[in-house]
Amino acid sequence: MQIESQERDDVLLKRSAKGDEDAFKQLYRRNQAQIYRFALRMTGRAWAAEEIVQDVFMTLVREPRKFDPSRGPLTAFLYGIARNRVMKHLERQPRELPLEYRSGDNGTSNEIEVPDDRTPAHWAELHERRDCVRAAVLSLPPEFRETVVLCELEEMSYEEAATVLECPVGTIRSRLHRGRALLLAKLEMLRDPPKRANVGF
Amino acid sequence: MNCEEFANSGFKSDAAVGPEAEAASEHLRTCPECAALYERLLELRGELRELGKASAQAGAPSRVEMRLRQEFRTRHNTDKNRNRAVVAGWMLAAATMVLAAGSVVVWQQRHGTKIAHVSPAPIPVSASAVANGPELGGTLIAASDDEQFALIPGALPGLQDETSVVRVQMQRGALGALGLSVNDEHANDVVQVDLLLDADGQPQAYRLAESTD
Repeated sequence: MQIESQERDDVLLKRSAKGDEDAFKQLYRRNQAQIYRFALRMTGRAWAAEEIVQDVFMTLVREPRKFDPSRGPLTAFLYGIARNRVMKHLERQPRELPLEYRSGDNGTSNEIEVPDDRTPAHWAELHERRDCVRAAVLSLPPEFRETVVLCELEEMSYEEAATVLECPVGTIRSRLHRGRALLLAKLEMLRDPPKRANVGF
Repeated sequence: MNCEEFANSGFKSDAAVGPEAEAASEHLRTCPECAALYERLLELRGELRELGKASAQAGAPSRVEMRLRQEFRTRHNTDKNRNRAVVAGWMLAAATMVLAAGSVVVWQQRHGTKIAHVSPAPIPVSASAVANGPELGGTLIAASDDEQFALIPGALPGLQDETSVVRVQMQRGALGALGLSVNDEHANDVVQVDLLLDADGQPQAYRLAESTD
């Protein structure tokens, strides 16, 4: 989120509002991936992330004047819309916790696998651990989940996350701390489930 | 620093500097439980980073961009068409106004010039009528209506298109000034007379409208 890119985003948005399709294309390609990843990591569903990205940029097409540069960068504005859509999605489907990130059309995973000389057993273990972490993240309450997603998975700084989530840096710090503690507890449960958890369900 | 304080510090012993971080590091060396917790936390952060890297290249499918660009084109083409329709509407309205204004000007030029010719023209009859009293005066009642008019003696008939009619009130005796014969017994009666004026404002013909007495 550099100042230069913010200015460029402003200029592109103005051109886009006047009907410049190329400017809109540039804006979309510059910002879609991070919004998509955020939505994917928050919902755990590729189709939902796709819908959310479409909604976010449809707002830019239909109501470009909703963006006020004096209130922050365009990225924060887009994240704000995405957060609203994510929350609506989570309200509709609060209990669903998918284990895989799958894209909607051809079933291929969005993850990039780097081939190396490790054994299939190692890959299987790696996948299993990753699935556990993913499930643990998806089971976090939304306010902790979005902080963990932005600070740990997207590797944003606390200041950047605070801008995106429109809250003080101290809040980000405390949410992250609490989120990590919850994650540790959930991971222990997922990896080493207590026997009584299987009784009575 | 005790275990609770260490937990509340947010595990700052790794990157942070300062007295709090030093105290956390010292606590880690002396407390195996917190050290184990800290190790698990480091492991968790590593796994989260791995998870982040695994999906770092993820992006929306290209069909989303296609749909958005299609919507963009549709929307802006609609706006352009709407703007064109608005501009065309305003231009049509402006053209109608200009046409109406032109029509009014032409109509006024055709019918209004006769008024302009008549009003300022001094005529002997009206002058004598005004001299007979404050109520007496002339009124334009028609641009051209020469039916039932009697020619004033000595007047030459002009073009009919350039005549106009003025109604005046006067004493009957004043008609004598136009060369008409007047009965002396009724010379003081006030009558309304329509005068047919030529383009120069000179009376050419007259007719008695009615007597006010």
